[in-house]
Parts: sequence; C-alpha cells; structure tokens
Amino acid sequence: MIEIEILGTGCVKCRRMKKHVEEAVKDLGIKAKITEVNDINEIIRRGVMSTPSLIINGELKSHGRMKSPEQIKKMLKEYL
Amino acid sequence: MGNIVYDPLISGLNNLLEYLSQHTLTCLIPAFFIAGAIAAFVKKDAILRYFGPDVKKRVSYTVAAVSGTVLAVCSCTILPLFAGIYKKGSGIGPATAFLYSGPAINILAIVYTAQVLGYDLGIARAISAISLSMVVGILMALIFKEHDKKVVNASMNHINNEEPEKPRFIMLVFFSLLVAILLVGASKIGWAAKFSAIYLMTVAVSLILIYHFSRDEVTEWGYETWDLTKKIFPLLIAGTFIVGVIAYYMPPETFRPYLGGNSLVSNFIAAIIGAILYMPTLLEVPIIGTTFGYTSGVMGSGPALSLLLAGPAVSLPNMAVLYRIMGGKKTFAYITIVVAVSTMAGFIYGNLML
Repeated sequence: MIEIEILGTGCVKCRRMKKHVEEAVKDLGIKAKITEVNDINEIIRRGVMSTPSLIINGELKSHGRMKSPEQIKKMLKEYL
Repeated sequence: MGNIVYDPLISGLNNLLEYLSQHTLTCLIPAFFIAGAIAAFVKKDAILRYFGPDVKKRVSYTVAAVSGTVLAVCSCTILPLFAGIYKKGSGIGPATAFLYSGPAINILAIVYTAQVLGYDLGIARAISAISLSMVVGILMALIFKEHDKKVVNASMNHINNEEPEKPRFIMLVFFSLLVAILLVGASKIGWAAKFSAIYLMTVAVSLILIYHFSRDEVTEWGYETWDLTKKIFPLLIAGTFIVGVIAYYMPPETFRPYLGGNSLVSNFIAAIIGAILYMPTLLEVPIIGTTFGYTSGVMGSGPALSLLLAGPAVSLPNMAVLYRIMGGKKTFAYITIVVAVSTMAGFIYGNLML
C-alpha cells in the first residue's frame, strides 16, 4: 500500500494534481491511500514552500510543479 | 428622465465597455500569457535558496523585495512561500517584506496599473513597493527580535530537478519576445506597423515553442494561462461592472472631501480603505480610476498610491491566514506598519507630483 500526499492550498493546480494522481493510480491498478493536505501550517511542517507538491511514502517527490499522470506513474513505479 | 433600474445598469455597462475596449486586448491578454509562462517555466527552486536560514540577511531582504515579480502571480503561491520563509527560512523580516511587495509588483498588476492609470503611477507603485517592503520587513524584525531566535534550523526540503535545463538564452529570447509583444501592443504606433510587428513576433515565439519546448511544456503553459484567466478575469469583469453601477449612485465627487488633494489625512484614509476593503486581483485599478475618481481628477495621486500599496498587501481574507500563521500581535503590527508606511509613501509622492 502506497501512501500519497498532495500538498496544496486548494488552488486550481492542486486540484488538477489530485486528478492526475488518481488517474495514475487507477492506470497502474495499485492500492494507494491518497490524502490532500490543505492546512498551510501542515504544509510548512513537511518542509515545503511551494505548491502543488507530492509526497510518496513520506518522501518529497515533486514541489511547486504540476506533474502529468505519466510523470506520476514513473514516480510511483519506484515504490512497487 | 432617469430610470431607477435602467440608468445604473447602463452606467455599469458603459464602464465595463470602456475598460474592455481600451485595455483588455492590448495589455491584459499578453500579460496573462506572460504570467502563465512565468508560472510554468521559471524554476522557483533557484530563488527559494535565497530564503534559507543561513543566507545573509541583506541578500534575503533584497531577493524578498523583488522576487514577487516572478513568484507572486497568485495568492496561492504567496501565502505558502510567506509561511515557509517565516517559519523555516530567513525569518519574519524577509517574510513580511515579500508579503508586502509581492502583490504590487507582479507583472499583471504593474502592466494594468501603468496602462489604465498612467505610467507615472505604475512606476511609482513598483518602486515604492520594492523599497518600502524592506522598511516593513526590517521594522517587523526589529519589533519581534525574539521570533527569529526561535526559527527552526531545519532547512527546507529540496529535491534536484531531474529535468534537463533549457539553454539560458532560449528562455531569455522567449520572455523578451513575450514582453516585446506586450509593449508593442500597448504602444501608440500605427495599426499596420503594430500588426505586422506582432505577427512576426508571434511567429518567432511559435518557432521557439516548436524547436525547444516539449508538448507537455506547451500544454502546461496553456493550462497556467487559462487558470489565471479563469481565476482573475470573471471577477474583474463583474467587479468593473459593479464599479460602474456604484459610480451612478456615488459619483467620485462624493469622495473629494476625503480623498482629494494630498494632505496627510487623505493619504491616511486611502491607506485605511485599502487595508479594509477586499479588492480581487487587479480590481484595485478600476476602483481607484472610476469609483474614487483618479481618472477624472478627483482623487489625488498621493492617496491613489497609498491605496494601491496598502490594498493588495492587506485584505480581510489574507488577514485571516496571517493570523493563523503568525498570531494576532504580529498580524496587528504588520497591518499598522503597512498602513503607516503606505500613507507616508502616498504623501511624499503626492507632493512630488504637484
């Protein structure tokens, strides 16, 4: 089970990032727990200053950028 | 003669048409594309390095004062950055400096202010925001010295971007072309020369896109531009219409006793109005131009600048977030300093322009 956290303050980009993550997870047919972190203090606590950011199994994989479903799949594959 | 329902609506529509026809095509559309390109292509990591706890304060302040140009196109980038600098980076001074200057010097704000309210006010807005942000930051740092001692040394998480860098000069040419399109579009040269120049530059941009950008990157640019447009444009349209309706009931003359002239009091009132009134991005421009009558010569240039400075730096929604990040005392101090500093800036500028 992979844990994915999407950090974002609710802007358009962050919501699209969530969609892309869901798409990637579905395509790979894996089990994953997807959480959105919206609270700004929580985001900072994870050491991130720019959103949207992506954390997989506690590891920061991308920050301040949108990622395409393809790119997200590539990142997820490392954890399979 | 007057019709209670009809006339205010016409006044709103006229105002909207006036702003649209004069300013949208020539300046807003290219500006949105530039802002979108900044959001999609400028690597923020390089700039974020200057906000680390170990960086010399002098450097952090300078970067905080000017980086809003590329970092602060939307509030969803400003607030996390602010919180990060405040809690884990170079501390309260640079954080508040960034917060103050950011919204005033992003590309959309400068372009729209300069185009609609005049280049003098646009430039004054940018210069004052940059220089005063350091004053705001240093004052906050002096008042709350103890805060920075507590700042966690834990540095921020950084990851190396695996994507290959594009040659610098390509990016330079790309952005220069976009800015050139904006400037030519807004200039007062004949339409034939204008259209052919813009046409050629657009072709050049497409060639760069074809040969140096991947499909994903171009899509991302499109998305970013569309996102910004979607977020800002409808509010601006609705707002400009409402501004026109309000002008029917309250002509700018209403405000002359408070905002006309350049007295310290009128600058102060303008700064207070700016701090309390929530103005969606860019709407500060028609509010100042039409409602308060800067364009019709009612509002003085000093109060106009005070309002432009205090307005976007403080608003009710961002006060709420600030309160959650740094608590009541510091938020209150920040607002007080913003109002004071903006009043002074307006007062000085107003007297220079007389």
